Amino acid sequence: MIGAGIKRGTAELAVLSILEEGPLHGYEMARRIEEQTKGALRFTLAALYPMLYRMEQRRWIRGSWETSDNRRRRCYRLTPAGKKRLSPLRQEWSELFQALRRLKKVALA
Amino acid sequence: MPDWQALVRSQLDGLALEPHERAEVIEELAAHLDETFEGLRRRGFAEEDAAERCRNEAKDWRDLRRRIQTARTKENIMTSRVKQFWLPALLTLLLSMSFLMLIQVFGPNPWLLARKSGWSLVAPVAVVYIPWLMSLPLIGAMGAYLSNRAGGSQLAVFSSTVFPVLPYLVFFLVALPVIAILNDRLAHNIMFAALFVGLLAWVLAPGGALLAGGLLLQLFYARRLTSRRVVSN
Repeated sequence: MIGAGIKRGTAELAVLSILEEGPLHGYEMARRIEEQTKGALRFTLAALYPMLYRMEQRRWIRGSWETSDNRRRRCYRLTPAGKKRLSPLRQEWSELFQALRRLKKVALA
Repeated sequence: MPDWQALVRSQLDGLALEPHERAEVIEELAAHLDETFEGLRRRGFAEEDAAERCRNEAKDWRDLRRRIQTARTKENIMTSRVKQFWLPALLTLLLSMSFLMLIQVFGPNPWLLARKSGWSLVAPVAVVYIPWLMSLPLIGAMGAYLSNRAGGSQLAVFSSTVFPVLPYLVFFLVALPVIAILNDRLAHNIMFAALFVGLLAWVLAPGGALLAGGLLLQLFYARRLTSRRVVSN
């Protein structure tokens, strides 16, 4: 399991990355992230929505109400500003993981 | 299936957003719990277990309410601090000071607390305005209410409740000792007693009164929350 501090840092990257695949509502977003990370990243309702609202305020994502299967859901999509944010964020995390891999003890772990 | 909409609405009561925005948040969170519940049921969880897991999606609703409020409002963190602490704190200070001035001018004579020597009172003398002390629980409750309503943390609520005694505390702990050191005409033999009496009359007693009001309000909120949880369960 990944620790809480690193999880917090990766949460925004996870959300932006998953929304790059297409618009999603909160529940589906959490489900796909959990599935794709094999349970390493799991968003509870309390963790997910304040973050989504914050990202929406920063205009990285945009939410709009949609109805499908007789359900009204708020779907989020990546904005151009979000796409712009995603690329340096990926770079930063990639550099961090590469740096960690270079550490002998981490590589052996 | 539990009524998620009712649960979220009751738990996020007091979310300081525009009514339509609050309704959207409630609908979205309830829909999330609804789908989580259905997903768990599809995976074979018993209804009660699935409902319990859904309720665990947010263990601290008060904290969630505060974080949603901060995230949804366009203002920055400073503005939240103003609403959650500075505004209630300064209002309680202003109200308590104004009320004290009114009582000093128009109210009954204060109660003087001191040792008597013959016909005269011996220093240190504590001047206690009973009507003012009696008004403080109400003022403290108002500070706690305003801070609580703005989504303030326990620390912000507590600090805004007792804020009016802060100037006195600073005076007795900082200004008075400094004056005593600098002024050699003061009777140093009664300084400690004066400090104690002053702290008691102007900090501890008013602070206790303010806190009593604030705590009563917090107790009221906690009971209301518990009764709602019982209803929603």
